[in-house]
Amino acid sequence: MPKRTKIDIIGDMLSSIIDKGGKIKPTHLMYKSNMAHKQMGTYLDELVEKELVQKIKVSNFDYIILTDKGTEFLNKLKQMRDFEKAFGL
Amino acid sequence: MIRLIYSPLWFYGKDIVIDVISVIVLFLISFFSFRCYKMQKSKNHIYLSLSFFSIALSFLFKILMNFTIYYNVMETSKIGAVTFSYQTMRATDAFFFFGFLLYRILTLFGLYMLYSLYHKQSMPNFILVSFLMLMLTYYSQAAYYIFYLTCLVLLSLITASLMSNYKKNKFKMTKMLAWSFGIIGFSQIFFILVYIKVYYYVAGEIIQLVGYLLLLASFAMVLRDAKKD
Repeated sequence: MPKRTKIDIIGDMLSSIIDKGGKIKPTHLMYKSNMAHKQMGTYLDELVEKELVQKIKVSNFDYIILTDKGTEFLNKLKQMRDFEKAFGL
Repeated sequence: MIRLIYSPLWFYGKDIVIDVISVIVLFLISFFSFRCYKMQKSKNHIYLSLSFFSIALSFLFKILMNFTIYYNVMETSKIGAVTFSYQTMRATDAFFFFGFLLYRILTLFGLYMLYSLYHKQSMPNFILVSFLMLMLTYYSQAAYYIFYLTCLVLLSLITASLMSNYKKNKFKMTKMLAWSFGIIGFSQIFFILVYIKVYYYVAGEIIQLVGYLLLLASFAMVLRDAKKD
């Protein structure tokens, strides 16, 4: 299997959140997007900084939610993937 | 003597509209591919963007040339002076020569880049083919059909590559893209036959328009369907 690029990893993370209804626990996100703890932390910080996701607390549990900007970014990513697929890039 | 006008008089301007539509479609795809490149930094995206940009630019040169020629011809028919027309054309000979040369070389270069995406070329090979295309364009000014024949070959190869991709991925948009390139390729046959009757030019332009509209539809479907998922 080819090595995932940065954009692939971000796409997998955002898709995992969508699959869980837009809200996911950090550990679940780590497993679902096949990442190591440290690696996920770095990526998560970047996603939060870019306002693609948001960290929230619900009944003492940490959750990560997808923002509107994140949803929009994921749409663009899907368009790009379909475009690549159509042209066979 | 270079033949500059292929269109029947009543079709003047209409072909420009068709070419403008083609330019818009080509620029849209080039721009989107460039945006993908900015996101992913993949070489394939920038090559795809450059190839569409090159073809779009070539059409712009064609439009500019045709517009100038048609304007000259219309003005001449209004005045009715043959000498005036002759002098105008002579004065702008160099302009037309380079304009049409650029139109042809940019089209061939764009198509060759697109072809190279599916059949990876080594740098020496790329330089050699580019040089041959430049020579072909320059020395085939009088035999205009050689240009269209080369386009036909390149477009057929691109269509075959897309069809082969479709057999593997079964993605509807790939099939639509293959069809659109196939139709654009098919239109080149009519451009080759222009020397028999100018009406083939009209047929070629209309078929080419269908091809570009299908290309636009494929592109729009890619964007729309991705949003629906």
